[in-house]
Amino acid sequence: MWRPVSSRLFLVHLIGIATWTVVLLAGLITGLVLTSSSSLWWLLGMAAALVLAVWRTVIAARAVRAWGYAERDNDLLVRHGLLVRHLSIVPYARMQYVDVTAGPLERAFGLATVQLHTAAAASEARVPGLPPAEASRLRDRLTALGEDRAEGL
Amino acid sequence: MTSFGPAPSPAEPPTASPAPTSPWPEPAGVSPTPADAWPEQPTSAPAPAGPWVEPAGASPVPPGGSATAGKPQAAAGEQPGAEPRQRLHPLSPLLKGAKSIVVIVAALSWQTLGQVGATDFVLIVLALAVAVVIFSGIGWWNTGYHVVGRELRITEGLIWRRNRAIPLDRLQAVEVRRPLLAQLTGLAELRLEVVGGGKTEAPLAYLTVQNAGALRERLLSLSGQAGTTAATAPGSPVTEPLPLYRVRNTDLLVSQLLTPQAFFLPFGVAWVITQFVMEGSWTFIGIASTMTAMAGVILQPVRRVLRDWNFRLIRGDRLVLHYGLLETRSQVVPPHRVQAVRVTWPFLWRAKRWLHLSLDVAGLSRPEAGDDKSSDRLMPVGDPAAARALVAAALPGVDLAVLATSPPPRRARWLHPIGLRFHGAGLTAEVFVSRSGRVTREMTLVPYARVQSVRVVQGPLQRRFGLATVYADTAGGRAGAARDRDLAEAYALADELATRARQARTAPASPAVGPPTPVTPAAVIPTSMDPAPVNPAVITPSAVPPVVSPPVVDPQGFTPLAGPPHSAHPTSGRPDSAHPTSGQPGSAHPGPGAPGSTEPIDETFWQRPSQP
Repeated sequence: MWRPVSSRLFLVHLIGIATWTVVLLAGLITGLVLTSSSSLWWLLGMAAALVLAVWRTVIAARAVRAWGYAERDNDLLVRHGLLVRHLSIVPYARMQYVDVTAGPLERAFGLATVQLHTAAAASEARVPGLPPAEASRLRDRLTALGEDRAEGL
Repeated sequence: MTSFGPAPSPAEPPTASPAPTSPWPEPAGVSPTPADAWPEQPTSAPAPAGPWVEPAGASPVPPGGSATAGKPQAAAGEQPGAEPRQRLHPLSPLLKGAKSIVVIVAALSWQTLGQVGATDFVLIVLALAVAVVIFSGIGWWNTGYHVVGRELRITEGLIWRRNRAIPLDRLQAVEVRRPLLAQLTGLAELRLEVVGGGKTEAPLAYLTVQNAGALRERLLSLSGQAGTTAATAPGSPVTEPLPLYRVRNTDLLVSQLLTPQAFFLPFGVAWVITQFVMEGSWTFIGIASTMTAMAGVILQPVRRVLRDWNFRLIRGDRLVLHYGLLETRSQVVPPHRVQAVRVTWPFLWRAKRWLHLSLDVAGLSRPEAGDDKSSDRLMPVGDPAAARALVAAALPGVDLAVLATSPPPRRARWLHPIGLRFHGAGLTAEVFVSRSGRVTREMTLVPYARVQSVRVVQGPLQRRFGLATVYADTAGGRAGAARDRDLAEAYALADELATRARQARTAPASPAVGPPTPVTPAAVIPTSMDPAPVNPAVITPSAVPPVVSPPVVDPQGFTPLAGPPHSAHPTSGRPDSAHPTSGQPGSAHPGPGAPGSTEPIDETFWQRPSQP
């Protein structure tokens, strides 16, 4: 019943982590070149940056698997999070509007994010990493169900 | 939810209702209230005092009666030219200008006065005042409003024109405010609360008091939804329409003296004085700054007293609240717009057994945006009996005295070393109850019909103990939160909340004026949320069989980690809670068997929970 999000979302995360690590390493290397003293600390910093990158990669791989959503008859379930785990139950009837967004990286990998908004600001029903076809199918289904059972407030 | 008197007949004077049983201190003096500056139309039929062309069929229809209430008006309103555009009161630019003049003078400051001299200063202020009034006058000339069908249309602006249409079925609450100047001139400001607006939409400032009252009544009757006046809850005497509730001003004063600011003021003064005496230096700057600091501290209670002065509540068809001394406010909230009610018991009020009730309405509730501006009081201060009746008025069918909650499991004490017993959550027939707080005890009541979404959140520490928090989000600012429940119980609770929310949503809609049958199944549901590991038999007897098989909400996959043993267990939808302690805490708190049972008094809000 739980549907996973696309594993390509992991690549998106990976590129983000890689960019971040490269910038950090570049900064550390320039520091090493410019100061040329007590190089041990700079090397240690680089090692730490690499370890951090590896750790974040592992976390990202698992975090992508932690995302999931399920369409029940009356509500949408979304779960995500590793450290802090979230499960949201959002009834279709409470839907105010649906957002489908895709950033440049997401678009490059053919992904999109669907977000369901309710009148409550605290509601979080966001599903990232959907293939565009699935995203538009989900959007259409949500809007159709929302119209059927509209009861905004 | 949807249970008032079967025929509330809003024109009926409130004294006609069986008042003697109500616990109010002064049930008399309802109807005339001679010192009352407000025209008390809110509880009467739409007053035809307004200057507009009264559409035929407006007055005979009870406001908010049914779907038919809107139709004749809509038909009448859509006739072309049936309603000319109205302007605000001609004095409103002057009043608005007066407000700005104060700001201007403050901006010019004493320094400018010293530089330019008194006469020039007065001239500058006068010139600016004239400019402001002219500017407001132009704005006034171009501002208009009229009702078209079930919409209120407001046009404003000269250069940037804005034509705003407010669909009245989205109206949450209407407030009539009268600042001091408006009181002197007999004017009032009408504020409409609509969801989605960051601030109050379309404050119509200013109208005459009569116009404001009549327009409010008209808007509210147009906004009346079908099925909002459905049926009464059987056999619950607390749902009788309240004639009136009045907060005694002495109580209000005393309650504000019992706030931390006022309570510790003498100590602060004494400390400052001893400082001065010890140092022996009485400089002007020192005294002045001390006084300013004092004023800042003392101002908040004073402001609250001024704001809540002469607080009274009328429960006719809707909640009508009047309060204020310098700025009087009169707020009308249809009961089906109440998103949540929060009961607070501050520490210093315990000796008096006083409670504070606040009301959550979508659109106006901004708890962070300054307590003084928002109009969210249901009861500034009152004893438990009053609170009970007011809660019953705001959330029909809810009896504050029998709202039972069950505490989190014992192992949650590692997260709450103090006062675990004061946390709790419970499902009653009408509302989701959650409470927290050792020193300032709080209780949040969220009607199932107002739940927007349900969340289960589990932090890392909670996972170590196999706990999770369940939130019931509302469109208002506040969410009900059952903190640190057993994980399996949390999932079952979330599922049950979603189910009950769906039933509560659909039940009133289908039979609009029907008998209370759709409501009763909810009352059959066991009221207590069993703190013991969830027994599916407790969950499933809810009137409609769960559409979904429970295992969908199961922690399977939600816990992909090989975590601590109790969280790695979810092999089935209802993990049989391998945790050994999870079964115990229920023993000390047997939940109530039925909604009407009164035995769990020891678990209610203002009483000390028994030691587990």
